[in-house]
Amino acid sequence: MASQDEEIEIRAPGLAVDFVDVSREYVVNGKILKALSSITFNVKEQEVAVIVGPSGAGKTTVLNIIAGLEKPSQGEARVLGLDLNGSNEHSLSAFRSANIGFIFQSYNLVSTLTAEENVELMMELAGWSDSGRNEKLTAELISMVGLTDRAKHLPAQLSGGEQQRVAIARAIANDPPLILADEPTGNLDQKTGLEIVKLLARVKGEKGKTIVVTTHDDRIVEMADVIFRLENGSLGSVDRPARVRS
Amino acid sequence: MEVWGALIGPLGFAVKSLRRRGFHSYLAFLGLALTVATTTFLLLLGQDLSTRLGIDSSMRSTFGISWLIFAYLVLALGLIGIVGLLSTSYLVSSMISQRMRDIGVIKAAGALPRRLLSYVTFEALLVIVSSCLVGALSALLVYASWSWPSISLFKQVGPIANAGATILIVVPMISFLLAYVVASFRVRRIVGSSSVDAISKQLANLDLKSLGNPLRIRRFGSAFNLATRNVSRDRGFNKTLLSIGVCICLSMVVLSGALVSADTSASYVVRAMPPHVLIVANSNIYNQYVSLATSFSRIAPLPPIDYGNESYIISPQNASAFRAIPGVQTVDTRLITMSSITGYIKAHFASNQDTGENINTQIIPEVDTGSTDALIVGINATSAIGDWYTSDGFLQSVDAPYTMIAGDSLVGNIVQTPFNLSQVSAFGYRYDVKSALVDPLNAGRVLYAPVQTLQKSLGLTGFNVLLLKVNNDPTVLSSVSQLASSFGFTVGSQDPILKSNLAFLNGIWSHIFLIPILSLSLTCGILLSYLATNFSRRFNDYVVLKVLGANVWYRLRLLLWESWGVIAISMLIAIPVAWAVSIFFLIPDPIVSIANLELSTIVSASALSGVSVASAAILSRRIGLTTVKDLKP
Repeated sequence: MASQDEEIEIRAPGLAVDFVDVSREYVVNGKILKALSSITFNVKEQEVAVIVGPSGAGKTTVLNIIAGLEKPSQGEARVLGLDLNGSNEHSLSAFRSANIGFIFQSYNLVSTLTAEENVELMMELAGWSDSGRNEKLTAELISMVGLTDRAKHLPAQLSGGEQQRVAIARAIANDPPLILADEPTGNLDQKTGLEIVKLLARVKGEKGKTIVVTTHDDRIVEMADVIFRLENGSLGSVDRPARVRS
Repeated sequence: MEVWGALIGPLGFAVKSLRRRGFHSYLAFLGLALTVATTTFLLLLGQDLSTRLGIDSSMRSTFGISWLIFAYLVLALGLIGIVGLLSTSYLVSSMISQRMRDIGVIKAAGALPRRLLSYVTFEALLVIVSSCLVGALSALLVYASWSWPSISLFKQVGPIANAGATILIVVPMISFLLAYVVASFRVRRIVGSSSVDAISKQLANLDLKSLGNPLRIRRFGSAFNLATRNVSRDRGFNKTLLSIGVCICLSMVVLSGALVSADTSASYVVRAMPPHVLIVANSNIYNQYVSLATSFSRIAPLPPIDYGNESYIISPQNASAFRAIPGVQTVDTRLITMSSITGYIKAHFASNQDTGENINTQIIPEVDTGSTDALIVGINATSAIGDWYTSDGFLQSVDAPYTMIAGDSLVGNIVQTPFNLSQVSAFGYRYDVKSALVDPLNAGRVLYAPVQTLQKSLGLTGFNVLLLKVNNDPTVLSSVSQLASSFGFTVGSQDPILKSNLAFLNGIWSHIFLIPILSLSLTCGILLSYLATNFSRRFNDYVVLKVLGANVWYRLRLLLWESWGVIAISMLIAIPVAWAVSIFFLIPDPIVSIANLELSTIVSASALSGVSVASAAILSRRIGLTTVKDLKP
């Protein structure tokens, strides 16, 4: 595993995400399928960027590219100053574990680990070897998401909302500058979804993270500093809500 | 296929389900087919070897050594059968467990238990039948392509027609029946359980009791600690450990058993014909003795010879002269002759208790057990060079004059057990049988009697063969040769005879060693099936780790700890048990070489570790190809 020493110098002032003419193509059954066509956008540090659009518009593909899980077929993608095209698998893994927090629609907690172990795992992946400090920090994060009494439960023993709260704690466990959330309230009811939105808002406010979210949830859209609308793999519009402009 | 897939009913359900589960269906089929194929092939091979060796050893070898070889083969094939069946039941059980959640969902949706039972059982049946058929066919193809005629040992035996027809039918049939019973039992249990338990796949697979204090060793790193949690929280962990442990243990018994048996059979020959022994005799008797001693390993006619001819006799004075040569440690004076012998079971009383308290005693009259030609060796009990493996000890100076020790090839026909009731008639005298021994001389058709008794029976005063135990000094041979030539005798070393006999044994064992090697590969295959099943069950977790930033080394280490850890624990339990079984229970009076036990352990551990490393590397690479889109909700 990459240690913190191996981490790449990634900071570039101002922009957390910078896409220039990024395209992504897949070959499915011998046919080329264009998931993204030549999109250009950027997200500033500490902004909340919301990506909206119908299913199949390319929202998840954008998140995958930002996370370094996929590379653009064409164009230039820089995340926190790192040129994704020029990075190999090993450095992308190190980059992800140190700089990116993930929140999935289906939570995707490691099934064999308890809530607190899921959170602590992220610190270990980031190369934080001081287990005493990790345990203390984990307890704080679990407390922050309100799950102290459920800390020693397995994901299968938690409700959907509880699992998503663990996922949020896990996403900020390694103190990443960038958090990616793929429809984080998509599987939750109204009330539970609202709790998650509040928690995300708190993460933004207290921790000062850059957050990129794909969502259909208006309550999350209301939090946005910038809204990108994707349609058929193209960037339809970029909207900066009035409260931000003012 | 589309027409089948469109059918509504057990067949349509099964075909659709298997097609949609693609990778997992393939793994289940492959694991079962591989197990059935390997077990069937190994049993075919073992049966073939036994048949050929049986035909071959009826002309050579001795009964005792043949018995040792066959006992090993029977044990090895029995254990392989158990490993195969154990593996079959484990794989079927795992296959059904993977379907637990789907069964729960269908049940919760309102499917009638009876209908659900028939659907899932039929699906399992499709996999079981196809894998048993493919396994049997593969075993037949590999067996048929096996080129026996190219192996020198078995050339003279030739092809054996229809040797494995029974095995080819019975083994896949038993595998099928066992798999069906296990599948039905598992499906019935799942269908009978609550839908909630079945739907919560993770709860069903995880052991919630072991959450308390998981093993944590900081110096081994995060991957190790994660692996211990993954493995120890698996509800099927104990079952997996037991299944793999038993398979490893039985494979180890087969492997170390082969090594111990090979060493022991060689030791029987060496004990009867120790090295550094010179044979002194008249040239005719010398050649005859060499033929008798090598009849264990080669088929050659024994020309009739007058063993009691005056010119062949070595006087006691001449024999004493050899004792005076420096470097000669022992002079074993022998008088050998070939004679027709008849075996008897003495008349005796037999008692048996009937259903009440009455004890019935009856007289059993003497029984003639038959006649044959055998080599009779008159020997001086106090100066015998051989240290034979015997059932009840060798001749002693205190034994009655008409006492004999029977060669192992006479036991079971001419000489019957218990030996205290057995007698042999030779030269018109009755000899009591004291014991039996394993001896390559005349391929075990030999009887040892006190030399004075034999001399008296034959009316001779001397000996016709001297065996001289000498030290390693090469000048001893020249001194002995000088003295022998002055008496008109021939001298030769017994070492080439020993070497030839041992080479024959090594030839047999080198072919038998195919069995333990292939049985180890069967265990490796079982392990591979377990690792693949485990991987597909936890696929989602591995993808999550990759997405979160676990790099390729972390993933590799995690998979390695998970697979090798289970093997290491299994080996720690299985190897000592296997050693104990091999040493204490497998064969009588075993020769246990620490080097051989180490070799069998190293070979097994290396093969199993190799499988775990290779599978970790392959599966880690497979994870590397995944993306977020591979995550299942």
